[in-house]
Amino acid sequence: MKHRDLVFGGAALAISILYYWMATLVPISQLADAIGPQGLPKVYALILAALSLILLVRGVRDPGSGIRDPKGSGKPATAVSKLSGSPIPDPRSRSFRAAGMLLIGIVYIVLAPWLGYLLSISGLIFATTYYQGGTVGRPAALVALCGGVFFWVLFVAFMGIAQPPGLFPLQP
Amino acid sequence: MVTPGLAFAAFAGVAWGILGGALPGISPSITMALLLPFTYGLDPTNAVVLLAATYVGAEYGGSIPAILIRTPGTNAAAATVIDGYAMKEQGKAGEALGISLYSGFVGGLFGLAVLVLLAQPLSSVALAFTPTSYFALGVLGLSVIGSVSGDSLVKGLMAALFGLMISSIGTDPVTGVSRFTFGSPELLSGIPPILVMVGLFAVGELLVQSSEPGWEKASSTEARIRFPRPAMWRRIARPQLIGSVMGTFEGIMPGGGGTISAFLAYNEARRWSANKEEFGKGSPEGIAAPEAANNTVACTALVPMLSLGIPSSNSSAVLLGGFLIHGLIPGPMLFVKSPDVITGLFVGLFIANVAMLILGYLIMAPCLWLVNRPKPYLMGFIYAFVVSGVYAIEASLFHVGVALLFGVVGYAMRYFKVPFLPMVLGVVLGFMVESNYRRALVLSSGDHMTFLRDPISAGLLGFAAVFIVGSLLRHLFARRVQPGAEATV
Repeated sequence: MKHRDLVFGGAALAISILYYWMATLVPISQLADAIGPQGLPKVYALILAALSLILLVRGVRDPGSGIRDPKGSGKPATAVSKLSGSPIPDPRSRSFRAAGMLLIGIVYIVLAPWLGYLLSISGLIFATTYYQGGTVGRPAALVALCGGVFFWVLFVAFMGIAQPPGLFPLQP
Repeated sequence: MVTPGLAFAAFAGVAWGILGGALPGISPSITMALLLPFTYGLDPTNAVVLLAATYVGAEYGGSIPAILIRTPGTNAAAATVIDGYAMKEQGKAGEALGISLYSGFVGGLFGLAVLVLLAQPLSSVALAFTPTSYFALGVLGLSVIGSVSGDSLVKGLMAALFGLMISSIGTDPVTGVSRFTFGSPELLSGIPPILVMVGLFAVGELLVQSSEPGWEKASSTEARIRFPRPAMWRRIARPQLIGSVMGTFEGIMPGGGGTISAFLAYNEARRWSANKEEFGKGSPEGIAAPEAANNTVACTALVPMLSLGIPSSNSSAVLLGGFLIHGLIPGPMLFVKSPDVITGLFVGLFIANVAMLILGYLIMAPCLWLVNRPKPYLMGFIYAFVVSGVYAIEASLFHVGVALLFGVVGYAMRYFKVPFLPMVLGVVLGFMVESNYRRALVLSSGDHMTFLRDPISAGLLGFAAVFIVGSLLRHLFARRVQPGAEATV
């Protein structure tokens, strides 16, 4: 796991440097107190940098190379699902799958102001269902549309909670 | 005192909690986080009751798949799997579910009694709190990071610093200048803690679950709850008491939580049982002790949160978010400024425990229906629920984007094994610590000794020092015992 610590420590160190630099750009008001608006952020950045260095030094001093097969084959051990006990994909492909889910959310944010809540939320349900291994067909489309109508009735019509109206707002 | 809205919130929260808890991978904190945005439009008392009742329901809900499909719905139900599933294999699934429900009810009422007894007396010191005391209180809250950092104290501290950095975004509390806003008007009021919590817990878990396989299906024919008879009541009374006592201690202690208390209770119940040999083979006592323990925690975890504003677990951190949404600041002054909310919460928790007993019986069929739905559809609906909820907070798609961003952060933190709770503590307590630290220094003309001259502040800082030293010693000891292990300071 030490290589993960190295990556995390390196990323945290970069964030601390960036954050410290940004803290120096915060304007100081004439009304500023002794600590000022830059004071604590700079302290946070310095402590984070110190902790990142500890993590990096520890990672370099004791480098590991991932979870190893206890039988000593030298290959990384296969991860097993805690839910079903079946093998799960390696970290890289898992990250790609997660990125796909994220993309669905981003597309929702982009399309919702135009399509409105009902269509965009139905689309999100349909896309997620398909992406998670569901089939593309009439049942999936029907479930997505029913889901969209359910959420619209629940939030917009029943609870009166605002949702993206879209170019052609649907009034309850 | 008991309004229809309050009773409805308690029943609805329990129902939602049982359904969420019954879904493997959806923890009580995630179940609560999903609901958090929708509490905006509610009356403050009903909102916090809804969230607290969800916590109560989820702790029971986790035992349903634990008993029926050998998969704990929540981490705290892991100990229930051992004897619950063994009883199911013997054709006693209904009896096992009944013992779980009844023990959860007993543990919940015990925990509520402890909550009422311990939280209320702290209100007497409320009026003496000054900025120095509030700063010290914030430091005390942050000092529990060592206890909630899991295997690595360094990573826990780093997560807390990330949280403090996030809390510094927005308008400076003393001078009013904008910090780290990148010229965005949406960031001037800072990043609401609710977005961080929904992102870390709910969106992050969705991203993780996107590559997890589905779970087993449960048979509906074997899941008719059978409540225990008087002879069984007598048999499980002792393990229930053991579970309740364990749940009390672990709930109050930062970082304790339902999982640890459930396993400790299981262990102690076996130690004190006259039927030790039955444990692991379908012992009713092996279900009663952990279920009483994790439902006790659902109430006792609120003691430090309500009285000091310090969340001791992920679930109580989400509940804290529910308070903050309504402008209620948990801590000593809450008992003075909003006693109606506190009373309403206590009453609501009592109703929630009774509701759990009723709904636990009635909701079994829809619960099984939900657990047996194809995972792709469940994921789609949960995702839709999350984005709808986040948008509802301030009708802002920008907020949806921020929640997705924190979902990525949550995914990365899971990957790098960085604990969440320190980051949530940093986000929640950061503003309080900075604003009161600087105000106290302005009032004392920059004299740092002001924090030691105020007796409340000195006492709280003393407690914080004890916590920090204790955590350091514990981590150092763990490292010395297992030099090659992952546990590191």
